[in-house]
Amino acid sequence: MLATALACVAAPDAGAQGREQSSPASIRPAPPTAPQAYSREQIDTGRTRFAAQCGFCHGRDAAGGEGGSDLTRSALVGEDVRGDRIRPLLRSGRPDKGMPSFTMPEADLTAIVAFIHDQRAEAAAATGGRRAVDLADLQTGNADAGKRYFEAACARCHAAAGDLKGVATRYEGLPLLQRMLYPGSGGRGAGPAPKPPTVRVSLRDGRVVTGPLAYRDEFTISITDADGWRRSWPANQVTFTVDDRLQAHVEQLGKYTDADMHDVLAYLQTLR
Amino acid sequence: MCWPTFRRFGSQGGLKAALYVLLVSAPAAAQSVDPSALLKPPSDSWLTYHGDYSGRHHSPLAQVTPATVGQLALAWAFQTGQTQQIKATPILANGVIYITTPDNLWAIDARNGRQLWRYAYPTNDGFHIGHRGAAVYKDLVYLTTPDAHLIALDARDGTVKWDAVIADAKKGYWSTNAPLLIRNHLIVGVSGDFDNLPGILRSFDPETGKAQWTFYSTPPPDTPGSVSGGATGGQMWMTGTYDPELNLLFVGTGNPTPVLNGDVRPGDNRWTCSIVAINPDTGTLAWGFQASPHDTHDWDAAEVPVLVDAEFGGAPRQLLLQASRNGYYFVLDRTTGKNLLTTPFAAANWASGVDEAGRPTPDPAKEPARDGRLVAPDEAGGTNYRSPSFDPATGLLLVSAHDAYGIYFYKKEHGKYGWAGADYTVHGRGVLRALDYRTGAVRWSHDLHGGAGAAGVLTTAAGLAFTGDSANSAIALRTSDGATLWHSGIGRVGNAPITYELDGRQYVLFGGGSALYAFALPVTP
Repeated sequence: MLATALACVAAPDAGAQGREQSSPASIRPAPPTAPQAYSREQIDTGRTRFAAQCGFCHGRDAAGGEGGSDLTRSALVGEDVRGDRIRPLLRSGRPDKGMPSFTMPEADLTAIVAFIHDQRAEAAAATGGRRAVDLADLQTGNADAGKRYFEAACARCHAAAGDLKGVATRYEGLPLLQRMLYPGSGGRGAGPAPKPPTVRVSLRDGRVVTGPLAYRDEFTISITDADGWRRSWPANQVTFTVDDRLQAHVEQLGKYTDADMHDVLAYLQTLR
Repeated sequence: MCWPTFRRFGSQGGLKAALYVLLVSAPAAAQSVDPSALLKPPSDSWLTYHGDYSGRHHSPLAQVTPATVGQLALAWAFQTGQTQQIKATPILANGVIYITTPDNLWAIDARNGRQLWRYAYPTNDGFHIGHRGAAVYKDLVYLTTPDAHLIALDARDGTVKWDAVIADAKKGYWSTNAPLLIRNHLIVGVSGDFDNLPGILRSFDPETGKAQWTFYSTPPPDTPGSVSGGATGGQMWMTGTYDPELNLLFVGTGNPTPVLNGDVRPGDNRWTCSIVAINPDTGTLAWGFQASPHDTHDWDAAEVPVLVDAEFGGAPRQLLLQASRNGYYFVLDRTTGKNLLTTPFAAANWASGVDEAGRPTPDPAKEPARDGRLVAPDEAGGTNYRSPSFDPATGLLLVSAHDAYGIYFYKKEHGKYGWAGADYTVHGRGVLRALDYRTGAVRWSHDLHGGAGAAGVLTTAAGLAFTGDSANSAIALRTSDGATLWHSGIGRVGNAPITYELDGRQYVLFGGGSALYAFALPVTP
């Protein structure tokens, strides 16, 4: 018996360039255009393998577990065609995000890909799904109150007629809320990652180098220079400043009431 | 190099082998691990998950000092050759290190990192999320498995002695647990958050694998007059601690299920998210303290209950300290379970106050809701499994803390099984905090440069604290003020470091990625 799993490809204007620049409505489920068929046997094998290796973090149904993302709404899964995106990721892992790499037989990899696509199709067909947060769920705020809050708390960095002009046409629902609270927190599904902060490094010989932050820990500071090369220094041999504007979002998390949060979201939804 | 010779004797030659080793290389311990050794573990070993029964994760070793730690150098590394990260605390007995990942146990020569043998459990469909470590008793070493079995191996060569079922994996149980040996009881916990399952902790005869007792943190199925309000869950997936004088085992219990839907399980949901004191001979409850009544945020109280005998409120007390996943620090009198102190140690906005029993009172407005609630901590918690360390000289409890916010959703459509809701982390920051045990006041903080840490903490009598940051390094700090004295970029430390002394040399052992790294002061070749 054949079960048809439907994969969504990215919306036409959501290619690499589009995603980096204006990021259109790629976060909304795009119409399925690349049907992918897998056998029921493959899907069932995939279900078992997925539960054992991936289920704790991503949930046994791939709709999110402890710490891992909801793969049925994942942008990468949406772009995947027969494992061309998922398979390399399973092999390499995402060590920076705590995802291990996996070595397993080719057939198991294929089965896992089959299962993820099957779950995605099932989730897309279901309404009010088990883990779903629907647009309608989030309509409890007051836009006028949100506007007042925004002007007091957010206007130092943001402008409704400037950087946020038309934001509600680019994001909606949960991704908009996640982006509002801390850009990048919703993963790729909530749009492009925020620009890294600018770092200004003063070297011992007096030279000054600036560039976007590439990496930082207690012992290393690293930037990407104008030619695209990574440059690193021991943190105790240079002086540097990091202009991290996102810190204001972190501080705001401790200040929002839930009503504030929903009000500001309601206001952002008016910026069309 | 006594081990290759020793192994020739095979499984029947234990006594002869012990004599041989005593005569030839004369290590401090006998070959067979006597359970009474756990009461006063020798410094050439690390016989149980926490190093001793107290859960202090503190060592009396002091060869490596704040003055010399900067010279620490790699003595050896052991590559598992696997993709699984090492999350286990190593066990060391008789010069042999036992380290685990799901389905795997390696025996390694503690002097040079050579593999002696490896045991691989057959492929299975259990949850492969992580593994906390092994346990040892006499000439056996134990491994729990992703499909909730308990395997006893011959510590000499890894042959299987027996295989016991802890719980039914088909129902959704699995085990990552490092068992705790108390005399002739091997105490084993399980996990099982994705299904509505009773919370169980079991004791087995360490010789035979015969089940001795089962403690239920939530009632067994079909129990009349349920006290838990209909909640299941409360899995005891972390290794507990033990007070030999009181003969009490202390274990933290997990969160209730369904996880985010609290509507279908009204009341406090005893004994989920609790610290329970259990008689290890019978499995009966002596007392319980609930860190999070009616939890709806996945904040189990499985974190290590640290046992400290120290002054509190002007009198010497037998204390139990816990930095809990819900962001609160608790001090209890461990003889009775009476609460002495409750105070937050990480970002927490979910409680409206603290009740007369010392339990934070959940604010109903912070329960998961249809339109989302912004809650601190996030699901990963204010801390988690990573071992804290208590340093008796400074009175500091070092905790790998996490200031984090998440948005929590629940609506009826999410159902009442398993997770039953949705939550998303917004932002989190890992920071090592040194708490004054008497007040919970933060004496110093050390930024871990990233999200929640993965490493536990080890303190030593020399005034050093060893851990890993959230970036790329193993680090050594001065315990009194948190100043960095040494680091090594071995990759993200995923376990709790341990230390031991062999042949007059102190080693500090870290898991970095899928390898073990042993550091020591340089010796002349």
